[in-house]
Amino acid sequence: MKKLALILLAFAASLPAQELDSHKLLNPGTDSWPTFNGDYSGRRYSTLAQINQTNVGSLTLAWAFQSRSQGSFTSMPLVVNGIMYATLPDQVFAIDARTGRQIWHFQRPSQGGGNRGVAMYKDRLIFTTPDAHVICISARDGKQIWQIQIADPAFKGFASMAPLVIRDHVLVAGSGDAADLPGFLLSLDPMTGQTQWRWDSEPKPGEPGSETWPQDSDVMSRGGGMLWLTGTYDPELNLTYWGTGNPHPVENSEARPGANLYTCSIVALNPDTGKLVWYFQPSPHDTHDWDTNMTPVLFDANFKGKPRKLLAQAGKEGLFFVLDRTNGKALVSAPLGDSDWYSGWDERGQPIPRKEAEPQPDGALVHSAITLWNAPSFDPQTGLFYVNERDWINVYYLTIPGKKAQGWAGRDFTVVGKPFLKALDYQTGKIKWSKEGTGRGGGSSGILTTAGHLLFTADTSGNLVALDPATGKTLWHTYPGAAMGSAPMTYELDGRQYVVTPVEGVIYAWALPAR
Amino acid sequence: MRKLTFVLLIAFFAVAVLRAQEGPPQGGAQRGGAGARAQKQAQAEAAERGRKTFVATCAGCHGEDATGGRGSDLIRSALVRHDKNGDLLSPVITAGRPDRGMPGFPLGEKDLSDIDAFLHAQIDLYDMHTRVPGGYPDDIPASRLATGSAEAGKAYFYGAGGCSKCHSPTGDLAGIAKKYSAPDLQQRFLYPAGKPSTATVTLPSGKKFSGTLLLKDEFTVAIRDADGWYHSWPLRAVKVEVEDPLAWHFAQAYKYTNADMHNLFTYLETLK
Repeated sequence: MKKLALILLAFAASLPAQELDSHKLLNPGTDSWPTFNGDYSGRRYSTLAQINQTNVGSLTLAWAFQSRSQGSFTSMPLVVNGIMYATLPDQVFAIDARTGRQIWHFQRPSQGGGNRGVAMYKDRLIFTTPDAHVICISARDGKQIWQIQIADPAFKGFASMAPLVIRDHVLVAGSGDAADLPGFLLSLDPMTGQTQWRWDSEPKPGEPGSETWPQDSDVMSRGGGMLWLTGTYDPELNLTYWGTGNPHPVENSEARPGANLYTCSIVALNPDTGKLVWYFQPSPHDTHDWDTNMTPVLFDANFKGKPRKLLAQAGKEGLFFVLDRTNGKALVSAPLGDSDWYSGWDERGQPIPRKEAEPQPDGALVHSAITLWNAPSFDPQTGLFYVNERDWINVYYLTIPGKKAQGWAGRDFTVVGKPFLKALDYQTGKIKWSKEGTGRGGGSSGILTTAGHLLFTADTSGNLVALDPATGKTLWHTYPGAAMGSAPMTYELDGRQYVVTPVEGVIYAWALPAR
Repeated sequence: MRKLTFVLLIAFFAVAVLRAQEGPPQGGAQRGGAGARAQKQAQAEAAERGRKTFVATCAGCHGEDATGGRGSDLIRSALVRHDKNGDLLSPVITAGRPDRGMPGFPLGEKDLSDIDAFLHAQIDLYDMHTRVPGGYPDDIPASRLATGSAEAGKAYFYGAGGCSKCHSPTGDLAGIAKKYSAPDLQQRFLYPAGKPSTATVTLPSGKKFSGTLLLKDEFTVAIRDADGWYHSWPLRAVKVEVEDPLAWHFAQAYKYTNADMHNLFTYLETLK
């Protein structure tokens, strides 16, 4: 009997498993895209080169997936073992990554909101919902396994981010930028949904960082700093990197004098314990709702002749930082574009905000560069960091002055904006090339670079484009019927490279003509 | 009191369980335009009546804005937040919380539902201040924005700003401050969006087309001509001249200083 069991076991092991092998998270092959950013680094760079500068002009539609839903894809699909997993709010689709045909569809009553994708753990998918739940379903058939609630919608809590799986930890956070809530990151047990640890965006009274909040009020206990975009991970250092959102009350300075740690910060955490190892604050004492959630992009490269472990981020505050990711020390602090809200850099390389640029009862006119959550990319072949940015003018009104402010204590409107795609030299922060978009809004599309010497994104008129990453020259374009609110991704199956662009309710897969 | 607490706990639990199992309410709740407006209006009136009752009855402890004082902050109250049409709140108001020193207030049903409307409106006000439908603030009074010098604004209008090259306070801008709300006026002079560009497209044959510019991206130009017909061309095949009536305003938006904005607004606000 034992022997039979052994034989059966051996047989089972030899079956082509459709679940995600945990090694694939560390070294995803070119046939998969197993995490939000494709790999833990957040570079959104693929080594695939079948589609390249010489043939990209003949790129054609391989398939299109119609969600038949009013929702708009703002998520990153995953591809694991030939199956694509894509999300709309409260919906998950399993799709044949070769043909675009639906395998199964999970749906629960939807209340709108956004969703940025699933995480995969072995044979399970885990995702968040607009009513602040985390749901685990089977990747085989979409059947629900467990769900938990992580924030209270009565306080306008919600959740949209794609979780990050590190070994047996599911890292996930709720959002909420209305009522004053404390930000947090949870590590959940993928089998049960039970909390393994919780990291709070705000320190407890007396802890390091608490001195950056007023001591005569309890504003720190609900000071915001939501973690709403998926972080990155360095397996060698065993550190996971996350950006935190704006402090609360929003756009009011007087209620919370101080830097307000760890809001608007990049934080390095130990994924096994949730302990903070270092922080860097791109927008100290934020009063403009400038989240620092944007992807902390990890790469190893020479910096001034020495090999370094680097972290680069372009944030909503319109600044570009390159840090030593072992310790959080700034190597480069540079603007993405013109800004007048800060006067210079402090000794840590963080900006010093100007008091006059804070929201005022009669309005403060502020010039700033800005980038939103849409993925940037780092291309190791060019050594350039790419980001869709806009150069805009805003007026910020303080509408609830004083220490008793709550929630949103200000209002703002955008006067004008100019959109750009910019390529930055990571060693200097200098802009190597810049391409102005059309319109007076901004780009909302993410970026992918590949070893085929290509950069994929969408321009601000909605065209999907492939550019030369060295110069910004357009090499291919098509109009998919709407603007891409997501980012391109790529994989290879049966020797054919696909570039995938989710656009509103349709996922397009592009490839070279089939032979 | 124990019993009430118990009932409240049960109510909380029931709400939590419902939320856990049912998921979010069904999408949108889009109602017809007129019906929705009438309902909104009724809610606003109830909230206004509720404000008066609240100030008379509750504000002594909870503050006139409900953010607390001797009593608790009701904007941050989980009980108020989870309340639906008074189901959690009304029993507390009528029975009080003697253990916490809150007396009961034997109010009628209408007063209770008005207070409920007021508190939920206050929560929305604090939570969603910038996020009200319509986008930007239209209820900021002119007196709060007119902090500059009308004289300096006038000098800017006729001098450095160059406004008088196209505009006149007795011509197109006569009575402008009466026409728009204060923040609207401020936004409009900073950048008066909405005027389309026109374009003249010259084909290789030399033939010209003119009209309203609909699209000009890296690849295509499209116009609507004077007869209302749509035309488009590949950009590389034609010559395009665009006239943007707002080009000056667009460039100027990047040049205004804070002082220019306040002074010019204060001046324009005198044009009534």
